Amino acid sequence: MEVSVIRSCSQATNLKTELGFKDSRFSFGKFNEKLFFRKPNSVSFQSPLRRGKSGLRITAQAAQSDPLPKSKSSTKSKTLNRVRLFAGLPLDVVSGGTVNQFRAISAGLKALKLLGLEGVELPIWWGVVEHESMGKYDWSGYLTIAEMVRKAGLKLHVTLCFHASSQPKIPLPEWVLDIGKTKSNIFFKDRAGKPYRGCLSLAVDELAVLNGKTPMQVYQDFCESFKSAFSAFIGSTIMGITMGLGPDGELRYPSHRGFAKSDTVPGAGEFQCYDKNMLHLLKQHAEACGKPKWGLGGPHDAPANSELPTANTFFKDHGGSWESPYGDFFLSWYSSQLIAHGDRLLSLASSVFSDSAVNIFGKVPLMHSWHGTRSHPSELTAGFYNTATRKGYEEVAEMFARNSCKIILPGMDQSDKYQLKESLSSPESLLAEIGTACNKHGVGISGQNSTVGAPDGLKQIKKNMLSENLNDSFIFQRIGAQFFAPEHFPLFIEFVRKLNQPELHSGNLPTKEGTTTATDSVHTRSNLSIHMQSA
Amino acid sequence: MATLAVGSLLQNPRLSSPRGQKLLLNLKPLRSLDLDCSPHRKLLCSRGACFSNSNPCGKFYIVKASSTDTAPIDTFSSADILYEQTFPVNRIEKVEGKLLIRLDQSKDQLNWRLTIGCSLSGKWILHWGVSYVGDTGSEWDQPPQDMWPHGSIPIKDYAIETPFKKPSKDDTFHEVKIDFNPSSAIEAIHFILKDEETGASYQHKGRDFRVSLVNYLEDDGNMIHAKSSFGKWPDAVEQLPNMVLKAEASCDSKNENRRLEGFYEEQPIVKEVSVGNMVNVAIRKFPDAANIVLHLETDIPGDVVVHWGVCRDDAKTWEIPAVPYPPETTVFRNKALRTLLQPTGNGSRALFTLDEKLDGFLFVLKLDANSWVNFQGNDFYIPLSSARSVKGQSDSESEETSGKAHTDGIINEIRNLVSGLNSEKSLQTKVKEAKESILNEIEKLAAEAYSIFRSSTPSYPEEDSDADDAEPTINISSGTGSGFEILCQGFNWESNKSGRWYMELKEKASEISSLGFTVIWLPPPTESVSSEGYMPKDLYNLNSRYGTIDELKDLVKSLHGVGLKVLGDVVLNHRCAHYQNQNGVWNIFGGRLNWDDRAVVGDDPHFQGRGNKSSGDNFHAAPNIDHSQDFVRKDLIEWLCWLREEIGYDGWRLDFVRGFWGGYVKDYLDASEPYFAVGEYWDSLSYTYGEMDHNQDAHRQRIVDWINATNGTAGAFDVTSKGILHSALERREYWRLLDQKGKPPGVVGWWPSRAVTFIENHDTGSTQGHWRFPGGKEMQGYAYILTHPGTPAVFYDHIVSHHRSEIGALISLRNRNKIHCRSIVEIVKAERDVYAATIDDRVAVKIGPGYYEPPSGPQRWSLALEGYDYKVWEASS
Repeated sequence: MEVSVIRSCSQATNLKTELGFKDSRFSFGKFNEKLFFRKPNSVSFQSPLRRGKSGLRITAQAAQSDPLPKSKSSTKSKTLNRVRLFAGLPLDVVSGGTVNQFRAISAGLKALKLLGLEGVELPIWWGVVEHESMGKYDWSGYLTIAEMVRKAGLKLHVTLCFHASSQPKIPLPEWVLDIGKTKSNIFFKDRAGKPYRGCLSLAVDELAVLNGKTPMQVYQDFCESFKSAFSAFIGSTIMGITMGLGPDGELRYPSHRGFAKSDTVPGAGEFQCYDKNMLHLLKQHAEACGKPKWGLGGPHDAPANSELPTANTFFKDHGGSWESPYGDFFLSWYSSQLIAHGDRLLSLASSVFSDSAVNIFGKVPLMHSWHGTRSHPSELTAGFYNTATRKGYEEVAEMFARNSCKIILPGMDQSDKYQLKESLSSPESLLAEIGTACNKHGVGISGQNSTVGAPDGLKQIKKNMLSENLNDSFIFQRIGAQFFAPEHFPLFIEFVRKLNQPELHSGNLPTKEGTTTATDSVHTRSNLSIHMQSA
Repeated sequence: MATLAVGSLLQNPRLSSPRGQKLLLNLKPLRSLDLDCSPHRKLLCSRGACFSNSNPCGKFYIVKASSTDTAPIDTFSSADILYEQTFPVNRIEKVEGKLLIRLDQSKDQLNWRLTIGCSLSGKWILHWGVSYVGDTGSEWDQPPQDMWPHGSIPIKDYAIETPFKKPSKDDTFHEVKIDFNPSSAIEAIHFILKDEETGASYQHKGRDFRVSLVNYLEDDGNMIHAKSSFGKWPDAVEQLPNMVLKAEASCDSKNENRRLEGFYEEQPIVKEVSVGNMVNVAIRKFPDAANIVLHLETDIPGDVVVHWGVCRDDAKTWEIPAVPYPPETTVFRNKALRTLLQPTGNGSRALFTLDEKLDGFLFVLKLDANSWVNFQGNDFYIPLSSARSVKGQSDSESEETSGKAHTDGIINEIRNLVSGLNSEKSLQTKVKEAKESILNEIEKLAAEAYSIFRSSTPSYPEEDSDADDAEPTINISSGTGSGFEILCQGFNWESNKSGRWYMELKEKASEISSLGFTVIWLPPPTESVSSEGYMPKDLYNLNSRYGTIDELKDLVKSLHGVGLKVLGDVVLNHRCAHYQNQNGVWNIFGGRLNWDDRAVVGDDPHFQGRGNKSSGDNFHAAPNIDHSQDFVRKDLIEWLCWLREEIGYDGWRLDFVRGFWGGYVKDYLDASEPYFAVGEYWDSLSYTYGEMDHNQDAHRQRIVDWINATNGTAGAFDVTSKGILHSALERREYWRLLDQKGKPPGVVGWWPSRAVTFIENHDTGSTQGHWRFPGGKEMQGYAYILTHPGTPAVFYDHIVSHHRSEIGALISLRNRNKIHCRSIVEIVKAERDVYAATIDDRVAVKIGPGYYEPPSGPQRWSLALEGYDYKVWEASS
């Protein structure tokens, strides 16, 4: 009997070989980052991250005397090519356990792979997986996707969404909403008492409001179930996990309700401290501070959701209540609650995935409207106590650093030039501010474009990718009809190609890497691994 | 490569390497050839002690591989290691294994089972299909669903792929089991094997493997057939060589002459495995010595020749150094030296003594006649001067070059394509071609993804706004959906009779979806005084004669699961009361919306409403709701949003919208944000002396006015077109299908994107039949609406009738040619007995008994569909 072997997919074969390298490099990168950069003298070889030969090779190297000066590696790390490009899968790629537009997704994945993307981002919804009842998880659709992605030779960045989506409509789990029908205080409320059903209030994190469990426990069970369901993928295909932190997955209060329209000036947003539990916390805090009267409610002179900051006196540029002792009291409390919430969730994620070779991310919003005023109303109502006189993102970055998590910053496509003049908005300077805080605390930054889109967005993204504001990866949101449309996709191809031609835009490059600028991601990663070896 | 592999296998069927042979017997060939090279490393270390060639100092440790092994460091005391580098090397190695095929009868004696196993490790996938008795040609068919093993996924419409599974966890042995019923008409199972890890496919003599399930077929060469030896599946590896148990099995199912014979067969297969090896280079200098010693060692098995030289400058020009050379060294064409590495038991090595003034040491490895190992396409370069600066070739990937040049080229190209950079290496033509083909491939895939996404997803805000920098091609509007919608009316007038319509329809969900529909309209869901649902009472009570609310949710979920959008039929015009007022008039409502008589219009004396005058026509059978009341609108909006959320409806069919102002509909739609909405605006066409007027502009104007009042948020049923089609077809007056301006005479001629064309619905057809479409002409009607712009709606009765396949063909033609609600129609003929038009220059259609053939113009037309008095052509560019 004879059997012939045809290598019809020789191209794919080799791609896979390449990928194998990337793969292990990447994990090595993390390995190093955690073990070498922080404690260069306490190298442990028991890391579970080591797989295959490259891991071993590296081990051998690592134990050897230092062949490369460290300074060299740190300058080298600043090339554009280090930023790995991902594309987000459609939000509703899975519903009811099935993969929607299976064929489109699989064609799309192939196209992205050929285009040289690192991987795709997959939003996994609480309301889809644990839809029916507490503790009953259906991962099937998502597992199918993970398998497709693995087969396509791509990486997967998973976003665990503990929030709801309005378009397409993906609500919170049914049983949670049922509980919310009788206990509306599990949701954030605005001053009018209107609940926000897009996520749970951070004030109930530690309260046993969900059938005797606290939301934190429920999130933890969810993460653990995820971990065991995807154990075959975590660390090999799944290299990054974003922990959902609030509305739209972002670390913030749902201060801006309703749809943001690009042609109208956004309001200041509204403080969301009016659910029973938030008010209770505020009251306790005020009493502890010896100001019981300050704990009766939120600022009385803050404008309502859609009103302009100028509609009332709280945010006034000069002499606004925000600058008063009361203002400081309230804003400190309000923002610290948010940071504590982020801390709880990120440390939960870090501990659940501590033995997995994945990076944990959390998303921080870019509340850029009204950034030009002194009080930064949008940031304040969203929970960031960042004003002309106070650097509020330091605490946030510090919290991320504490949990060894990386930050995801959306809005990388927004440029100042296209903002409405009236909104005194400045996405670029806000981004730079957050970027500075992150760099100071050594927090890696992954970028995203905003969901609302922006004119010349790709250009702005590229600019950001070349800057200090971005040093981990970029997740392009998101694939779908529009993404693959003849009007858009060629632009995207062009974008990807140009990303890798930094020398054409050397003006934007902080440093030149000599003549052998890494020409592609594969090489780049090689460089990276060399730095690591040297560390 | 491929032929080489086969050739060598044929000559040496059991041998690829000594190790391979041994392993073959174990059936675990891959384990020790695996990528993990730790064993080699260990050996390298432990062997260190007997390293003593020409080296006076004897002990020479190259590398320490494991953290536990710290002792060797001491041995460096006598000499300094100046440089050390380990290069990983990837090679392709052939591993031999077996493919096992067994056909046998299951225990229950009814079904048969085909088991395909593979003894090699890997991510094996069985890519397979079937052929049926009587099939001609070599096409495969997708196996019937009940044959699909767990985990199978469909590949296009002709095959499925099933991953191999390990019967037990630590086995390398994988298998797929396919159960089937021998009485089916399947003639043979065809398959090829794929290895996901490498992407390679394995065929049988260059063709599919084929397992014949009927025994009267001729052996056409690639058939694996029953040999009347019935093998027992090897449970244990040792049984492998002679395990054939003679037995004969015959299948005595009712099936007459189809006797199956079980068999068991093995076929050798060879897999190319990427093997990771390494090359380690270390340079050492001994105190007081003028020379340095370069030690090269590799764990690549077999004979390895180092093809080497030295250089004196950065240009890396090869030079032959002065003696001494290591043993087994020859001069190669005065340019380089060739040294056979000395076997070490687990690899090989050599020591080179070099002048320290040299700049670098260059080499490549030669494995056999065709296989070279180099460093990323370049020579390995070991800086000698830098014993001083250890920079050198810091990168660390090397690739096997043999036979891979082309594929490497492609990979480089992908890189270059992505990077857009011409690397230092100049591009070759071949590579340019590869680049183009990859770009083409990307574009093709993107186009495929685009067409599916476009036709099946609503746009999200983010997509809309993405459109700021890229022209939007589709505008999702609640009136039109994506523009590519095809609607199915999912019930008729009798559907309530069974009391379990939702469950019945659920059974049909995938069938409806596969016909090509994108939207389905479900019957009115609320509690109703009439069983059909159009006399709603408690709007929040969704238990109706069609089923319970839970069944409804379940149905909607299933419909969504197969990609259908779901329209709820909402009756907003009127509502039946729960209670009588003091005068005994039924106008007080109960349930969650416990309105009083202020919610009822004031101008209908039957119901003594206290509301305002009706904003439309009155429907006299029930209290008409006064939509001008804020609380009514607020409650209705809340209800619609609740329906969207609770049930999952994607949009609405709005009943009797003639009864109230379209502006209110706009409010309802703005708030409930449907994906698609269509209103029933129904009134009479114009007749003069009993004959329908040619000009029905007034009729369609009223419908268009209503759509306008909704601000275009809803479409409307094109009653005008239906009426005109009636006359045109019934009386052979096809000229009616052209209006004075040369356009279609219905709403579709004026506002195609908002026209929902139909020929029949539950009122006009079904058992009510008050305005039934001319009998026998239904397909002409569908040929018209399914090729024309507007959003066509197909009535349930027709898709369960004998028209079904013709309708399916028209729908798929519509989808194939991407005809949408705004497609351009050009009417080329509208005469007494024939009407013809072209749509988007891609489709030509004629209806009526008269003659028409599309002229051969820029397009070439080919007849795509033909039925009773209609024909449809497609342009073939």
